[in-house]
Amino acid sequence: MILDMPSIPLTVLVLVGVGSPALLLALLGVASLLGHPLPERWTGRLAGSSMIIASAALVMAFVVYGMTATGTQLLSYGTWSTSHEGGIAIEFLVDRLSLAFAALTAAISGVVSAFSNRYLHLEAGYNRYFVLFAMFITGMLLVALAGNVAVLFVGWELVGLSSALLVAFFQDRPAAVSNAFRVVSVYRISDAAMLSAAVLLRHVAGTDSLSLLFGGAAATAGLTATNATIIAILLIVAVAGKSALLPFSSWLPRAMEGPTPSSAVYYGSLSIHAGCFLLLRAGPLLEQAPAARLLAGGLGAATALFAGITTRVQSDVKSSLAYASLTQVGIIVTEIAVGWYTLAFVHLAGHACFRLLQFLSAPNVLHDLHGLEHAIGDHDSPGRGHFRILRSDRSRRQLFLIALERGFLDTILDRIVIEPFTRMAALMTRLDQWLCDAVLPAPLPSAVDEDDEDE
Amino acid sequence: MSDARLWLAGLVLLPVLVIGASYLRVDVERLRRLAVASAVAMVLAALTIALSPPLRDFSIRASVLTWIPGGEDLIRIDTLSSVLLPFAAGLWLLTVAVTPRAALDRRGLRRTALATLLTLTSFLTESAVVLLLLSAASVWTFLSALDDPAHRYQRQVVAVYLGASTLLFASGVVLLVSPGVQNTIVETVAMWLIVVAALVRKGIVPFHAWVPEVFDHGRLGPAILFNAPQVGAYITIVLIVPRASPEMLRTIALLALGTAVYGAALALVQRSARRACGYLFMSQSALVMAGLDCTSVTALAGGLLVWLSAGLAFAGLARCVLVLEARRGRLDLTSYHGGYDRMPVLAISFLAMGLACTGFPGTLGFIGQELLVDGAVDVFPVMGFAVVIASALTGLAVLRMYFSLFCGRSDVLAHPSLRLGLRPREAWTFMTLVIVLIGLGLAPRPLVDSRFNASQEILQLRQQRMLRSSALQSIY
Repeated sequence: MILDMPSIPLTVLVLVGVGSPALLLALLGVASLLGHPLPERWTGRLAGSSMIIASAALVMAFVVYGMTATGTQLLSYGTWSTSHEGGIAIEFLVDRLSLAFAALTAAISGVVSAFSNRYLHLEAGYNRYFVLFAMFITGMLLVALAGNVAVLFVGWELVGLSSALLVAFFQDRPAAVSNAFRVVSVYRISDAAMLSAAVLLRHVAGTDSLSLLFGGAAATAGLTATNATIIAILLIVAVAGKSALLPFSSWLPRAMEGPTPSSAVYYGSLSIHAGCFLLLRAGPLLEQAPAARLLAGGLGAATALFAGITTRVQSDVKSSLAYASLTQVGIIVTEIAVGWYTLAFVHLAGHACFRLLQFLSAPNVLHDLHGLEHAIGDHDSPGRGHFRILRSDRSRRQLFLIALERGFLDTILDRIVIEPFTRMAALMTRLDQWLCDAVLPAPLPSAVDEDDEDE
Repeated sequence: MSDARLWLAGLVLLPVLVIGASYLRVDVERLRRLAVASAVAMVLAALTIALSPPLRDFSIRASVLTWIPGGEDLIRIDTLSSVLLPFAAGLWLLTVAVTPRAALDRRGLRRTALATLLTLTSFLTESAVVLLLLSAASVWTFLSALDDPAHRYQRQVVAVYLGASTLLFASGVVLLVSPGVQNTIVETVAMWLIVVAALVRKGIVPFHAWVPEVFDHGRLGPAILFNAPQVGAYITIVLIVPRASPEMLRTIALLALGTAVYGAALALVQRSARRACGYLFMSQSALVMAGLDCTSVTALAGGLLVWLSAGLAFAGLARCVLVLEARRGRLDLTSYHGGYDRMPVLAISFLAMGLACTGFPGTLGFIGQELLVDGAVDVFPVMGFAVVIASALTGLAVLRMYFSLFCGRSDVLAHPSLRLGLRPREAWTFMTLVIVLIGLGLAPRPLVDSRFNASQEILQLRQQRMLRSSALQSIY
């Protein structure tokens, strides 16, 4: 029986594609909440089935769209939050770009799901991993297909939270948890920028429809140049946080604490490209805001240069791959800023697949190296040193130090943001205590052990 | 059974039953079970009222000691209060079901029932005099929870701050109900006195210092039960919003927006889990206040929703801290305590409730925060973005608490035979609360529509009173 694909409505296919991982999230999440997580075998099968269904539905949607549609379509599934004005509508914007990215997302997720099923076999957090993985895939698909800024924001938040919690996956390790907190700190800046862009768009345009932002020059003509620039800059800040562009790149190596499959899918293939995808979609808006375009191009180029240098001195394979990814992400962002949208998407898709393979192979890199050396009967040829392009030893050492310290971004962030904030907050806390003591003098420390107090 | 009076009588009698039983020679464990059963019955009765249109339109008017021409509703159930009744009942259930046995003795059970009764009756009236009396009684009840020598200082702090709040409230009400003060300077002074009283009670900067002190060094359980219902928000919406000048409301909203950011920022750096809870409460409470004072339907509806979501979520979050303290002692957020493996349900519940506080998508808080941000930006184009900053900082604070309390190595000193996991009643209560927060987040429409209707009614009332007031002024 030949399936008559054009007769299957896009609305159904997209709903199945997005709904499948969402349903997986609900099933696994409820089971965990009730204290009875599903057995590993069931979790693996459900995850695999869900990814297969999602991939099939979205690939079919892409084919159906290609065979039947002629332009961008807005699929509406009703108003979710309220019947009054200002309600959030569930809308998906489908065109070649969104469906292609969604299909790519689902396909990559299926591969990673199968890999994870084996890689994390008998791991204590197996179930927790797949709950977070389902959350991530749901979020990514919402980002890919969002028809309004509210849906985009929902997806953005889901991706961010799942990423942070997966960095802390090995939660017995204080380093992993501490790094997860640093990652989520940057993500919150990104989320705040995204939400601010959404609010501003609703405020100035009276709608949060993404067809306005992404619909081409005519559609964005309703925005003044100033408004378009501010919204575009906020989007760029959101993208910079999510995609680890400068000056937010310091979180990326910290995120390598998570399990290899999550590093692969987040920082090799999908999450790190989510920002690029959003920027790609916002191309028409960028064309109206030359200053924002310049900013995007500058950030992209600077990030590519920085990451390209830093990757060469990393001592562990995952950090090296992370910065290699970042180099390409920087180049993709620059391509978008220049206006080479098709090239940018092809670059994005190809890089996502290639880097996924590299990340998934990372645990085997030493084994592969030993195999190679055994085959050739000698050690692999040693490197010729770093930064030989520079003539001066002093310059090479300085550049090496900057690369080794990853641009001193952590130090700069600590000195400029974290330490002043912490000092200010400590001062305010002391002020609050003083406001109590000014009313009543505080008693001397008593012999009562606070641990003995009830409630 | 369609008579609202019968249902109201039932609602009120349930905590009275527990109070009465506490004076009899009833075994404490039996008294506790009675309290849980009464709280469950109260939740069900309150939900029946909230979901039944004929029961939602009931009032008994009075024309004595009133500041409103034509009298005011001594007792009323309307769109606003009908949803607050199950909210108050739910907080009581959370308290009696989850608080450790050692911390909730006979007096404690009596006190929680009394506090709930006072909250419930506050939500049923719009009379300024009755609200004053109930407010004073609730402060007295809270003080009685701090009457042991270990909490003498905190009792004094609460007595000073909330005592001053009550005095200001009383002064304002006395002035308001005096004859012939309508549209005079006396009425304006009275309104400002009530405003400051509400700001102190809500912990709005610069009247906030008592909140972190009481949460950190006082008794956390009574602090949660006193603050989570946010009676100060109710006083604001009933007494202040319908009559206050635009400048007054603007001042309150700006102070509240600043407090929201301030509280969230300080919650992020605290060492003590309790103190972090105190600042989180300040921030959430301030967001509610900001929404209530923005005079746009969207912001007001958002404030009413955040009131419910933040109230429930914060109460649950703080109760999680209590449950953990019962097992580990005081919690220091600068180290990692582990324990996810021992208490996964608690960890998931804590995270879900914390995310509901921050307005994470999929929780009830998300819709409220979205509406609040939109409405606040409409009214305050620059300051309105403070809601975004507060939300971001709250999310960080919650995740920091989660990482500290549940990640890291489990306590290696604890013998494996020690039962540190949740008791069934604790687990079920937290699970239910999370399901409610997420369920209402995924299917929010009926509740959101009801909050929109309530906010439209409130603003219509405000418009009518403003018009009446302008007409009277033009006559004179």
